[in-house]
Amino acid sequence: MAVIQVEHVRKRFGNKDALEDVSFSIPKGEIFGFLGPSGSGKTTLIKILTAQLNPTDGQASVLGQPATTMQQSAQKMRFGILTDNSGLYERLTIEENLELFRQLYSLPKSSIDKVLQFVNLSGERKKKVNRLSKGMRQRVMLACAIIHEPELLFLDEPTSALDPVNSAHIYKGLRYLNEKGTTIFLTTHDMAEAESLCDRVAILYQGQIQAIGSPKELKKQHRENVVRVDLTNGEAYELPVTEGTADQIADWMKRGLIDRLATKEPSLGDIFIQMTGSELL
Amino acid sequence: MSISLRRARAIFVKDYKEFSRNYAISISLIVPILFAFLFRSAGPSLPGAIGFLFNISLVLLTCLVQACLIAEEKERNTLRTLMMTPATTLDVLIGKSALVFVLSALALAIASYVMGYEPASLWAVVAAVVLSIILYIAVGTICGLFSKTLLEASLSVIPAAMVFTAPPVAPLLFGDYPILKVLDYTPSIQLVQLLELPPGFMTGDILKPLLIISAWTVVFSIISVVLYQRRLKDE
Repeated sequence: MAVIQVEHVRKRFGNKDALEDVSFSIPKGEIFGFLGPSGSGKTTLIKILTAQLNPTDGQASVLGQPATTMQQSAQKMRFGILTDNSGLYERLTIEENLELFRQLYSLPKSSIDKVLQFVNLSGERKKKVNRLSKGMRQRVMLACAIIHEPELLFLDEPTSALDPVNSAHIYKGLRYLNEKGTTIFLTTHDMAEAESLCDRVAILYQGQIQAIGSPKELKKQHRENVVRVDLTNGEAYELPVTEGTADQIADWMKRGLIDRLATKEPSLGDIFIQMTGSELL
Repeated sequence: MSISLRRARAIFVKDYKEFSRNYAISISLIVPILFAFLFRSAGPSLPGAIGFLFNISLVLLTCLVQACLIAEEKERNTLRTLMMTPATTLDVLIGKSALVFVLSALALAIASYVMGYEPASLWAVVAAVVLSIILYIAVGTICGLFSKTLLEASLSVIPAAMVFTAPPVAPLLFGDYPILKVLDYTPSIQLVQLLELPPGFMTGDILKPLLIISAWTVVFSIISVVLYQRRLKDE
């Protein structure tokens, strides 16, 4: 069953299309990444899927219900969201912020300990939010979004303010949540994050999906048929994959000249630039 | 739209904690009591004093604090975060308004005691004050929704103060022009009439002001709920 189903969605602001005929579906249990530069329509799509915006045309369903019903309390119990518009109560402690969310979601008290452990903030629970670093705030916001262990999680740049150690901790936690059945829809600029976390990604540019598939599939589709050979004498070659190249490599191998041999595989960032002519900003 | 008292209570408790740690806003709580001490020294029977005390307190405490609480949530994006939880519009508005309601009622009760004010009809005054607090909370909510920052919210209360507190003194400032008769239908003048009810009053003397204040309260409450839903939608 598709957790998110988007069919020919278009969103127009004034005379500009933020989204043009966007269609895709996300099955249960997938980590799906949406890649695109600022202003490409990623946030607009999250807002449509969470009923903060209505589409101009097309249909979207989330968790088997029309996306327009996502503002109902029963539906809001089923998903969590962390966007750059999320906020925290500055004068309250981390624990007091989470206590509010615990009560709003009618959860047991133990849920606070559990989620604090998840975001690696158990020792900081009594700290006021206005004393926290940007990275710690990001982790508290993530804790607020997942305290109720949602079926579906929307994440907008979840590790943008985090250092590599904390990012790795969050990735581990997200994979754990995903293994327990949470479907994750995330937007990111970080190609390494998309490659390591996502089962599938979509590249959104100028309101349209330019490519969709697993990182592996996309790389395969856009792979140049070239091998790179570094020789022990310092020479390096990029050779087309042909019979002649195979003979040449075999010869170098026999003579013990090969230092490194690799296929030339594009990164997701390279694929994006190739498809749009723009860099991710 | 459903209401969950549990969720409204959670928002009330959160607001209480924030309010008690925000000295710039919580100082508003002493405004009615300060005015009460000021007027008390001038004499408890000072004409118009009790009306002025209640009306100015409703603006500088009820309306201002509500506007600031809403604007601060907007400024810090916490109102949008709340919207994405199971809390409904009414849960949020009731939770946020409950704190201001309790604080206003408490401050006005203390101020009345300090001034030695004894109403001719206690129940009528209580009803009018309860309705007025709800009205000014709705006005504060509207001011907060149209403000992007705390500073803007503080300034947005000034026009509300003019509209809602000036009518009782307008005839004194501008003379008794027939056109000013329309101001008799403002909630502030109706509240003053109830607060200064003479002994031996008739039922009609109570009902008319209560009905007028109720009408204002209902209209502004509906406007604040509708605006809350519209302002937080990104269309």
